[in-house]
Amino acid sequence: MDGRAKTLALLVSVFTIATCGLIYELLAGTVASYLLGDSVTQFSIIIGIYLSAMGLGSYLSRYFRHDLVVRFIQIEILVGLIGGVSSAVFFFAFAELQAFRLVLFGWVMVTGVLVGLEIPLLIRILQERFPLRDLISKVLSLDYVGALAASLLFPLWLVPRVGLMRTSFVFGALNLLVAIWTCHIFYSEHRSRGLLAQAYVALALLLAGVFFSTELASFSERRLYKEPIIYARSSPYQRIVLTRAEDEVRLYLNGELQFSSLDEYRYHEALVHPGLAAVEAPRRCLVLGGGDGLAVRELLKDERVEEITLVDLDPVMTESFRDHQTLASLNDHALRSPRVTVHNIDAFVWLQDHAESYDFIVVDFPDPTSYSVGKLYTRTFYRRLINHLAPDGLIAIQSTSPLLSRRAFWCIVETVRAVGLIATPYHAPVPTFGEWGFTLASREPFRMPTRLPPGLRFLAPSLLPSLFEFPTDMMPLSVEANQLNNQILVRYYEQGWGQYTRRFGS
Amino acid sequence: MSEARDRRPTRGSSRRQLLRWTSGLVAGWALGCPSRPRAPGSLGTEVDLSGIGGSIVGANHRLGHRLRQGGLPEPQRRRDVPVLIVGGGIAGLSAGWKLLGSGFGDFEVLELEDTAGGNSRWGENEVSRFPWGAHYLPLPTAESTAVRELLAEMKMVVDEQADGTPIYDPRHLCHAPHERILLDDGWRDGVSARDLILDTVDASEVAELEAFERQMAVFRNWRDADGRRGFALPTALSSDDPELRELDTLTMRQYFDRAGWRSERLRWYVDYCCRDDYGCNLDTTSAWAGWHYFCSRAEEVEYLTWPEGNGRIVRHLSARLGDRLRTGQLVYRIVPGTTEGSRSEGVEVDVFDARSETVERIRARHLICAVPRFAVPYLIADYNLPGIERFTYSPWVVANLTVRRLPPGAAWDNVIYHSRSLGYVVSTHQNLQIAPGRSVLTYYLPLTDADPAVARQQMLDRGWPEWAERILADLALAHPNIHALVEHLDVMLLGHAMIRPVPGFFWSNVRRRAAEPLGAIRFAHSDMSGLSLFEEAQYQGVRAAEDLMSELGLPFGTSLS
Repeated sequence: MDGRAKTLALLVSVFTIATCGLIYELLAGTVASYLLGDSVTQFSIIIGIYLSAMGLGSYLSRYFRHDLVVRFIQIEILVGLIGGVSSAVFFFAFAELQAFRLVLFGWVMVTGVLVGLEIPLLIRILQERFPLRDLISKVLSLDYVGALAASLLFPLWLVPRVGLMRTSFVFGALNLLVAIWTCHIFYSEHRSRGLLAQAYVALALLLAGVFFSTELASFSERRLYKEPIIYARSSPYQRIVLTRAEDEVRLYLNGELQFSSLDEYRYHEALVHPGLAAVEAPRRCLVLGGGDGLAVRELLKDERVEEITLVDLDPVMTESFRDHQTLASLNDHALRSPRVTVHNIDAFVWLQDHAESYDFIVVDFPDPTSYSVGKLYTRTFYRRLINHLAPDGLIAIQSTSPLLSRRAFWCIVETVRAVGLIATPYHAPVPTFGEWGFTLASREPFRMPTRLPPGLRFLAPSLLPSLFEFPTDMMPLSVEANQLNNQILVRYYEQGWGQYTRRFGS
Repeated sequence: MSEARDRRPTRGSSRRQLLRWTSGLVAGWALGCPSRPRAPGSLGTEVDLSGIGGSIVGANHRLGHRLRQGGLPEPQRRRDVPVLIVGGGIAGLSAGWKLLGSGFGDFEVLELEDTAGGNSRWGENEVSRFPWGAHYLPLPTAESTAVRELLAEMKMVVDEQADGTPIYDPRHLCHAPHERILLDDGWRDGVSARDLILDTVDASEVAELEAFERQMAVFRNWRDADGRRGFALPTALSSDDPELRELDTLTMRQYFDRAGWRSERLRWYVDYCCRDDYGCNLDTTSAWAGWHYFCSRAEEVEYLTWPEGNGRIVRHLSARLGDRLRTGQLVYRIVPGTTEGSRSEGVEVDVFDARSETVERIRARHLICAVPRFAVPYLIADYNLPGIERFTYSPWVVANLTVRRLPPGAAWDNVIYHSRSLGYVVSTHQNLQIAPGRSVLTYYLPLTDADPAVARQQMLDRGWPEWAERILADLALAHPNIHALVEHLDVMLLGHAMIRPVPGFFWSNVRRRAAEPLGAIRFAHSDMSGLSLFEEAQYQGVRAAEDLMSELGLPFGTSLS
């Protein structure tokens, strides 16, 4: 090999290192802001750690005295490997490990140190071939131009089209290709087959990553959400997607917004406390649906509640909200409370197979967007539910929006009445949803509670009576009760929401 | 039309003749051993059957083999049974139900197949129960008193309206979404004529629809001088006014031609209804029977349905009868006693028991023969009913497909406009839980478009691979990837599934004479009503039981109006 090829290989390496290095840094910053929110803080910290680690690497380069080319190639292989798997590691750590930040910052640090080692080593390798004046100008200009390429590619093409996971694998592989090329060109100098073997093994690993890595969400799915997806899992029943934009975490089930962390407390306080506070002795409570544990969190605020049974069909939901740190912190780790028992079974089946009765029942199913969910709002369902209601107990039912799907709301009220219960409808404003409606169902007339548990952010006893007043545009309409054989509710719901072009989550 | 005549025995019933009618009744028997799936592509067709299990089911092979092997043993046992019911379809089961419900328990019901139920038979696998025949029951009208009585006994009624109309258990009323149809531009909810013509721009088509609906209202409200409805259910309560009987001289197509109704969709709809309820098409259904379909029930009728279809009713009736119901019993010889007088002296019946491989001779004082009429000459020695060849039956192919998941958007009943099949029904539709995943689809194909004897022979000549391919190809019209969803596909070939209400049959003398008792033998089968409907089968069975109890002087309260 002649000197020109070697020089070219080294200069291409400079460019690659610069591009890939910046990509790894941007990836870490992006993933951190997706997962932790507060992008300014995350990017500042990541850039700070990365640059200082590079400084550390540059400093450490003095301890490399011999076989500089071999060391350089080894470091390049390492950078490619560590950078290449970085997003996968971050997402895994976020989902499975407690110490996510430690992993994140540690990983950034190691990458920074390795990248920081490379430029000084390179300069030392090349110093025999160029005068210092030329050398510095060539290396640094390539370094900065490489950074420009990365900073343009990253937001414009890589994040939207390629995805975070695959981007990191692709750039790791690129890094290694350059390392392998350099390795071949300098073979006469190092004569190390082991080095080549290492490089090829690492490359194979990353290529496997490129082909087998599944992004949390496909390109088309990512386009459905305005905010970045930080967690996504599919269960046999639904697609669970969590997004984050700054400090706001949103949960979507099958693309339908379930809550935003900014104002879900309004929804869940309104769902639980007016009914709960009105029950004389709510010792035993039942929650149907609500696998996010947020209604359970509200129930736990009331010290009179001794046992809570949560019945949610989807084990992926309840496990995520019990074990995943970010998700479990949303419900204050309610699903780990000794007062809570979780059953993953269809609500209809559970009600049939169990005989216990409850003082307070929360029915928190998704909106009746389909016939299968619509079954959970029928007379048959409520009739089965009555068998589980203690004589002076109360049921609180999420009842969709009395403003956005007015007929559907009053249909739920009518259905409760059709099974012989007293229905007491009310509503509360939840900014991300709009005006939201609830129905209390009981055998005895509802009595407005005068006390609420401490620590509520939205409800106050003096506010309660106003929730039960309906403005003109939400007043009752004449509707039919929902039955299995007509599922009229699903049609009311479609008609209602159809009038509103503004759909959340899409 | 000629088949029954061809097969008429000359004298008595030889085993060979018995075999011949058995081969028609027990569909698939003619195929010998159960078919095994052939290697994919062996027929050079597009449909890939690899990975799909299944066979032709429903034939009583054991019985068939036993009979082919050689002579039946001489009767080893003799015993007396006061009342014997031969045939465990809805008519036979209902006769037993009425006797038992009246406090008379000295009877047995003998059924040829391993499971009772006839056209309401059902099956079950690890996914679901599923129907092999009738899969729903329209809510009974006030005149269908026996059906109402049965449904109340089955605890299907939860309450009553102020006027006494029953309120049925919503769990068993067909859940929404009910029906959908695949038209050229995709699936659409509902399959009624109005649903199909709703979006037309052709004013004449709408006018025809409205004329059709007006005529329906006229016939629905029609009463004769005695106050009888024109089209009642059971049909026995219908008026015999000549004005309406005139309809029985026409086919439904001739009626439409005379009325000047040309709309393709309207004709398709009526043809579909005739195929669904009668196994006949526009060209073979009598206009009387056609209008009966549209006018005998309430305008907007709801259905009761269960995963196993009307098999739920069979389960109820079988449970009530307990061990009085005996399956796997091949009755092959019925000899009326010396009956040439006003008093009958009982009946002698030879029965082959498939399980024990023994023959017993049962002496019954009374017998209710609840088998289709075409089979009667093979059972009853010297049976002679002039014109019996006018009892013709349509062959049906029924398949149950176990699928990994439901096709998207599946309703209860899924109809394909450009298919001669009736589409498919979802057995898990009434499940209350949110149940993604496996299901069983029941596919129905009445062979309506050829002479029934020819169609029957062609049907029996095809093996499992050919039927599986045809069925999947048909369903692929709606779901191009259906073969990827299917795990298992069983086919049942029903040679004589439904009596055909062709013009002239309903008001024929032979149908009326078929109901006359023969000594100690009474008859009960829906073919005597001319329409293969649950309500008719039950009516015939209950009526035979009540007539018998009247003759015996047993006290009972009638279930009929």
